[in-house]
Amino acid sequence: MTSQTNGGSAGEFDYFAIEGTVDAGSERYFKDLPAKVRQSRVRFDFAAAGRINSMGIALLLRCFKEIREKKQAEITLEGLTPMHAMLFKMTGIFLLASPVAAGANGKGDPV
Amino acid sequence: MQQMNSIVAIFKDERDQGLWAAYLDGISALWSITAHEGLGHALERLIGRGIDPCLVILSSRLYPTEDPELVARIRGYFPEAELLLVSSSEEPSPPLLPLCADTVRHLAVNSIPGDPLGKEYFEGVLQKLVAGRPWTIGDCLGSRTGVRSIDLRSSNQKEGVVGALEAAIAGVGDEFELFRQRGALLADELMENAMYGAPRDAAGEKLFKKGEQRELLPEERLVFSFGFDGETLAMEMADNWGTLDPDLVVEYLARNQAQPGGWDDLGGRGLFLIWRFFDHFHVSVVPGKRTVVGGDLRLSRTLDPEAPRGFHITEYKKGDAA
Repeated sequence: MTSQTNGGSAGEFDYFAIEGTVDAGSERYFKDLPAKVRQSRVRFDFAAAGRINSMGIALLLRCFKEIREKKQAEITLEGLTPMHAMLFKMTGIFLLASPVAAGANGKGDPV
Repeated sequence: MQQMNSIVAIFKDERDQGLWAAYLDGISALWSITAHEGLGHALERLIGRGIDPCLVILSSRLYPTEDPELVARIRGYFPEAELLLVSSSEEPSPPLLPLCADTVRHLAVNSIPGDPLGKEYFEGVLQKLVAGRPWTIGDCLGSRTGVRSIDLRSSNQKEGVVGALEAAIAGVGDEFELFRQRGALLADELMENAMYGAPRDAAGEKLFKKGEQRELLPEERLVFSFGFDGETLAMEMADNWGTLDPDLVVEYLARNQAQPGGWDDLGGRGLFLIWRFFDHFHVSVVPGKRTVVGGDLRLSRTLDPEAPRGFHITEYKKGDAA
């Protein structure tokens, strides 16, 4: 799995693109990720993410909790497949991070 | 004279009984009673007739919420009977924590109206519970469907097995794509559980950590099997550790269900996902000898993350078939 970190056009948010399978092999990445957050808004893009298993979900939850608690940042999720959305709904991810739907301009709008 | 292999079904009232009438129609040696006329008298009458059921079906409209002591009372009358809780798919899932405390290991949820496979499946569950036989992967597949079994030797095989399963689900379009993803996740979780959850030392501690590459131990055997008949995908993971505690399975499901978002601190997350993503979920354990975790999912059924789901967790003594 790889990712990229960018500020928004006005430097208003941190952006992380998640790629590939999210599982036990992603532990180091998600453990280190909260320290990279600088803004009060964080966007995660799952469009290139593949399978996310239970270990991956646990890593996401820990990561999102830390971002919310230590960085006081809001988290939004974009590029979710129906499978991701189902998984996130049943495991409580959406209690920590809000999904956004792709708008006509390609930017995410809160759902 | 005692009537063995009979089934007693206990419902709240006639309306509740009616919901399950189609499912129970034609079941032999079935005694269906309602609680609203006095359960104690009804049970005494059955005992007076020499009825000693091997299976008691309880409605979720009675237990655990309305009558939390019901299981204890039933066990007072029929200590050897297996218990099966039945719940409507149109009602919220019953709370599972009381089932942990009462060691109720079977929950069946009725199917959508008009689904013939729902009745067929339910009858199969009853037959197996009465006969004490475990679910097998072939039970829910078409009769000519091939089942592929793969002996795992290394954790490195996981992605190859997932790929083989995905390739077996031939079809194009969003429906098939989502189905393949569900199947892939289930295969992933089943293999992860067997690779890293099953191997335990004498003190019950895990021998391997998730994420580490590992080869199987010399005496260790892990077999992943799957089949797809064009509608139903069935799969199972068998290990020869037999370390999965049946009561712990129900507890894992209950705790993960009760604490969405508390997930990172809870055990049994993989089993919880397996339960939620299968349409039917089965576990059979011969302690110290064998664990089989499996189930099936159907292409035509859309996955509702909040829909109630059943489970069947059976413990066999050493020497029994499992």
